[in-house]
Amino acid sequence: MLRIEFRINLAGIPLRLFDIEEQVNSIEIDNALPVSGDMVFLFLSVQFDSEVSKEFLSDQLSDLDVVDVTQAELNHHIYYLSVVANLSDASVLSLLTENQAIPHRIVGKNAHLEVMASVRDWNHLKKVANDIESEHGSLELLGTTQTERIGFPLGGNKIKQSMSGKLSEEQLEVLETAYQMGYFKVPQEVTAEEIAGELDISRSTLSARLRRVEHNFCALLFGPQE
Amino acid sequence: MTTIIIIKSVEHQSSVREVLGSVVDEGERVHFLRLPTVRCLGPLIQEINPMINYGIDYTINCLPQEYNVATLVEFAVEAGADRICISISDRTLTGKARIDDLTQAILLHDEISGDFVVGEHAIILEELEYGE
Repeated sequence: MLRIEFRINLAGIPLRLFDIEEQVNSIEIDNALPVSGDMVFLFLSVQFDSEVSKEFLSDQLSDLDVVDVTQAELNHHIYYLSVVANLSDASVLSLLTENQAIPHRIVGKNAHLEVMASVRDWNHLKKVANDIESEHGSLELLGTTQTERIGFPLGGNKIKQSMSGKLSEEQLEVLETAYQMGYFKVPQEVTAEEIAGELDISRSTLSARLRRVEHNFCALLFGPQE
Repeated sequence: MTTIIIIKSVEHQSSVREVLGSVVDEGERVHFLRLPTVRCLGPLIQEINPMINYGIDYTINCLPQEYNVATLVEFAVEAGADRICISISDRTLTGKARIDDLTQAILLHDEISGDFVVGEHAIILEELEYGE
């Protein structure tokens, strides 16, 4: 099985979102569920440059059936949108699934849609790429790797999606640095002092941020404390 | 078996070593096919010494200045190549082998198909079959 990354021109809902009167940094298609006929429920994470009101978004997307707009808890520039749209509004997704390729990520940013998907083999890659190229005009293959596992399909990486926007930038930085430096390995490959030094923060600040991360993880798993 | 190794840079020794060491068998024929932007393969070949170190029979060829994917496929057909190997010069942020324009053109070309293997330093297209 081959995992591929490719880039195409913006199209469908991501293009429409980038056209609204507010700076959009990125749009990710988190999940899609069939409704009926050619209609599909699309769940999107949209990151803006600043905070926007729900009314503004609903107004700007008035031609779409916007079911819900929810602001992320900590990162107030991220909004979760649920819309009912036509399959053609997510054409790359439907082309992938029609061709039995597995979509993993579809992200709109920097005037392109970047897509990660799995295909069976070289012939399958050709078929999928040709169909997408026919529909979208051009396709740029970015990278490939071989894999034995399907991995998380679109909408399958629930923890990551659920945590997106629920950790502050500082908490994410602490968590990622600690993880990358081997703090969570047994035995630990790095001390808390070394991580704090790397981040140029005190050990007590590091400890507080890591505890908040753990608290948010627990809140996600077990719900709010009574 | 006949193998084409596309040389995009003389610095891609690791991909050549990977192909010669773990893909090509002793006694097989290898065509080192350099892009016109690569001036001379002398130092690379001297360093690797394919005949002595790997026991392979090799030739060095160059794609013309105005080459395109069709030129490359034509060369592969004439050489009766069973494999085409392309060095991985870079990785994406997620660790995937970065695909350049030439590699994309080969991968999506109608007239060539087979198996696709991604190695540590090289992309290996093998069991090649050619269209009409």
